[in-house]
Amino acid sequence: MDLTTVNEMDSQKLLNLALRKGGDYADLYFEQSSFHEILLRDGEVNVAGTHNEGGLGIRVVKGQNTGYAFTESSLPSDREEAAKTASYIADGTVTVKTPVRIATLKLPDRYRILSPWEEVSPQEKMPFLYQLNDRIFSADKRVKKVTARLSDSTSRITFYNSLGVHCTDVRPLASLSVTCLMENNGQRETATASRSFRMGGEFLQPDLIEELAAEIIARTSFLFRARQPVGGEMPVVMAAGSSGILLHEAVGHAFEADFVRKNMSIFSDKMGKRICPKGITVIDDGTIPGNRGSLNVDDEGVPGQKTYMVTDGILTSFLHDRISARFFQVEPTGNGRRESFRHMPLPRMRTTYMENGTDPEKELIASVKKGLYVDSFSNGQVQIGAGDFTFYVKSGYLIENGKLTRPIKDTNIIGNGPQTLARITDVANNGIIDNGTWTCGKEQSCAVSCGMPSVLISSLTVGGHV
Amino acid sequence: MKEKELLEQMCGYALEMSLKKGAKQARVTAFRDVSNGLTVLNDSLERIQNAVESALMIHLFVEGRFGTCSTNRTDPAGIDKLLDDAIASVRLLAPDNCRTLVPSVLRYEGSPLYSAHRGEIGTAIKKSRVFDCVASVHGKNPSLISVTADYADYRRWVHMVDSAGLNCTSEETWYSLSAECSVRGKGDKRPSDWNYMGGIKPGAIGIGSEAPCRCAVNALERALAKRDPRKTASGKYSVIVENRVASTLLGPVIEAMSGNALQQQNSFLLNKLGERVASPVLTLTDDPHRKGNPGYRLFDSEGMATVKRTIIDAGRLNLYFLNTYYANKMKMNPTISSPSLLLLKGGHGDVASLAGLMKNGIFVTGFNGGNCNTATGDFSYGIEGFFVQDGQIAYPINEMVMTGNMTDLWNQLTAAGNDALTTSSWQIPSLLFESIEFAGI
Repeated sequence: MDLTTVNEMDSQKLLNLALRKGGDYADLYFEQSSFHEILLRDGEVNVAGTHNEGGLGIRVVKGQNTGYAFTESSLPSDREEAAKTASYIADGTVTVKTPVRIATLKLPDRYRILSPWEEVSPQEKMPFLYQLNDRIFSADKRVKKVTARLSDSTSRITFYNSLGVHCTDVRPLASLSVTCLMENNGQRETATASRSFRMGGEFLQPDLIEELAAEIIARTSFLFRARQPVGGEMPVVMAAGSSGILLHEAVGHAFEADFVRKNMSIFSDKMGKRICPKGITVIDDGTIPGNRGSLNVDDEGVPGQKTYMVTDGILTSFLHDRISARFFQVEPTGNGRRESFRHMPLPRMRTTYMENGTDPEKELIASVKKGLYVDSFSNGQVQIGAGDFTFYVKSGYLIENGKLTRPIKDTNIIGNGPQTLARITDVANNGIIDNGTWTCGKEQSCAVSCGMPSVLISSLTVGGHV
Repeated sequence: MKEKELLEQMCGYALEMSLKKGAKQARVTAFRDVSNGLTVLNDSLERIQNAVESALMIHLFVEGRFGTCSTNRTDPAGIDKLLDDAIASVRLLAPDNCRTLVPSVLRYEGSPLYSAHRGEIGTAIKKSRVFDCVASVHGKNPSLISVTADYADYRRWVHMVDSAGLNCTSEETWYSLSAECSVRGKGDKRPSDWNYMGGIKPGAIGIGSEAPCRCAVNALERALAKRDPRKTASGKYSVIVENRVASTLLGPVIEAMSGNALQQQNSFLLNKLGERVASPVLTLTDDPHRKGNPGYRLFDSEGMATVKRTIIDAGRLNLYFLNTYYANKMKMNPTISSPSLLLLKGGHGDVASLAGLMKNGIFVTGFNGGNCNTATGDFSYGIEGFFVQDGQIAYPINEMVMTGNMTDLWNQLTAAGNDALTTSSWQIPSLLFESIEFAGI
C-alpha cells in the first residue's frame, strides 16, 4: 500500500484534529520512500540493499512553538492519534476549522525522471561498477583497493496544510561514490570522489565512469607527493567548486532564520547592512535542474526558489521556514526541509554558491607572496554564535612568490565567518557547482550542494607543523 | 496483541519466508523505539515531539550471495513483497563465501538483556524538570542572550533471530537533559556552551530529587568563561584534553582497529597486533557487562556474545574489531563487530591536578571540525579552550588548530585523569599529552 495515498476529506479530518487545541497552523507530510544500493569491493559486486519505508508526519504550530508526531501506520485510528498528540503544543480548547477548499500547487519539474529507478534492475547497474573498477585499476599500477557504491532513492511526498495548500512531489536521488587506495614503497594513500544528482536511471552514463576514474586517480596519486604544511596565519586561495563549503559553514548556517529568530546568530542584527566587500553576491538556490540540493517544493508546501542572501556585499535575506517567516513578517523562502516524515522541518540550505567575479584565477594566485591554495575539502563545521567555522583540507598547494609549488594535504583551516567575508579581497570568474555527495547534518541529514568561483582570503589560520 | 509480540511474530514470519523464498540462511532483527522530546527556549515550550518507530532488518544469504533489506512495514504482504525484490537482487550478485552467520560457539545464548527503567514518567514531570532547568539561569545574568533546554527519553527494544537458532532480545531506556546557553561576547560574537546529563533511569537527570538542577547553570558558566577569546602563538605545547571531548582523539584509533579499515588496508594500525602502538600510560578495556552503564550489552549486531577484553594494554595493541565477515576475509578469528563500553584507565585526578602536572600549556575543551587520515594517522583539528599558566587557567583561546599523527600523539600521552563521564559508552577521562603542535598567530 502506498502510504502517500490520502483523500481530501481524510486530510481535512486530520488537520481539524491537529488544530483542536487552538494551534495556528497544521500540516500533514505523507512519505513513501524506496532505497537501493549495490557495493563493489575487492573486484566483485557482492552486496545489495533493498529498503523501503513510509509514514505520516503531523506538525502543529502555535506562535513559534511546534508540536510534532508521526506514525508509520496507515490505519486511520493511528493517524488520528498522531494528530491529537501533535495538537498538545497548544493548550486551548478552540476548534479551528480548516478551509473547505484546498488548492493544489502547480509545480515545475526540476528533476524529470526518464528512467524510474524501480524499473532499473541490478543487472543494469552492476556493469557500471565493474567498468569503473577496471578503469581505475588499469590506470595506475599502485592501485590496491577500490570500493564503489551506487545508490538510488525515490521519495513520494503528499502534503496538505491548514492554509489549503496541497501538493505532491516525486524526488529521485542518485549517488555514486568511489574510494581508491594506492600503495607505493610501503606508503598507502586513499581518496574518495563522488557524484550525486536528482535523476533517474539516466544517471548511468559512460562519461560518468571516465570522469570519476580520472578524478580518483589524480586525487590519490597527488597525496604521495603532498605533506602537511607549516601552520599559521596566511592568505588562502580557495579553488573553484567545492570551496563552496566556505559559504555553507562560514555564513550559510548563520543565515538560517531559526538561529536568527532565537538571537543566536552572529548575523542576527545585520539585515540590510554591509557584511562583505562590494561585488560579492551569495545565493541559496533550489531551482537548478537535476541538482542534489534542488526542490520543486520544500517540505512545508512552499515552492522551491532562488534566494539572494548577500547582494553586492549587503545582507538581503535570511533562509526561512514558515515559522521564522511569520516571525519576521516576510514570505517563506522555500528552505523548510526535513530528513523524512520522522522529522519536523527546519530552515536548511539547498545549493549555496557565490556569483562570479571578473578576474582569472591565475591573478589571485599571482598576488600571493606566501600562502596556500586549497582545492579539496571535507568535514565542515561552524559555531553559530561565535561565528568560528572550520573545514578540513584534503589537498592543495603552497603558494610561493605567486606560483603553486609544493603539494599539501591533511590540514584544517579555521576562521571567523564575518571576519573572513570581510577579508575576501578578490573573486575569480570561474564559478563551478560541486556535484559531490554533500550532506548537511544540522540535527537531521539533508542533501545539499555548494559551489564557488576561486576567491582570495587575505588571512586564515591554517593547521600544520610549527 | 501487544506491539512487541506482534513484531516478534513478524520477525519469525520474515525468517520463515526468507528461507521459503530461497535464502539458505537468514538473520532478522526487529527494532521498536518509543521516544519523547520537549524543548524549552527561555520561558516557553518551543517543541513537543513523540514518536513510535518499528522496523525489520533482514540479512539474506542466498546461493552463496549476500544482501540486506529493511522496512518499517510489518504486515505480511509488505514483508513478502520486500523479500521477493531483495532475493531477486541478491541472486544477481557475485558469490561471497566469507558471508556467514555467527558460528554457534560465539553466539549469544543467554537470557534477554534488560537495561531499562520500569514504568513511565508523566508529561507534567518532564515539563517540570525542563522548565526548572531553564529557570535556574533565565533572567539571572545580563549577559545571557538565550537558554535552550532539551528533555529526551527513549525505550528501545531489539529482537534478533537467525536460521541457525539465534534468539536474543534486549530492552533499554535512556533519559537525558541538556542545556545550551548563548551569551554576549565581544563585538557581535555570541559564544555558547552546553551541558548534558543522562542515564538509563530518570534519576540520572534529577527526576525524583529535590536538589536544584545545575545543568543550565554549568552551561552558562562555561559560555561566560569563553568570552573574548584570543589566539596564542603557534608552537609545541603540552595539552590537556577535557573528558567530554577526549573521545574525538580516540575515535580514529578505534576506526583503525575496525575490520573494514584493516581489510581494505586503510588503517595506520595494519599489521600492528601485538606491537606497542601507544604510551605505556594507555590501557583501554572493552567491558560490556557493567550493568547500568551506557554501552552495556550482551550481544552485538550479529548476535555474537560480548566479552570483556583489554584492547590496548600499557600501549600494546591486543585486539582488532572483527565481525564474522572481516574475520573470514582476513583469515583470522572473529572478535566482536565494535566496542561496547570502553574504559580508559586513569588515576591522576581531575583537570586541576592534570594542570598542576602540566604547569604551562593548552586546555582543550572543544574541537571545532577537523579530520584524521585513517591510512596514515595524520590529523588536524580546530580547537577551543584555555591557555594555562603555572597550573592555572589564564585566558580563553579559539581559532587554533592542533596537528599531528595519531601514533605520535598517543605515544605522547603522559597522564590520564580519573574523571571519566559515565554518561557515555566511551568513558574517557581528561588526558594530558606533551609536545603537540598548535597553529595560531
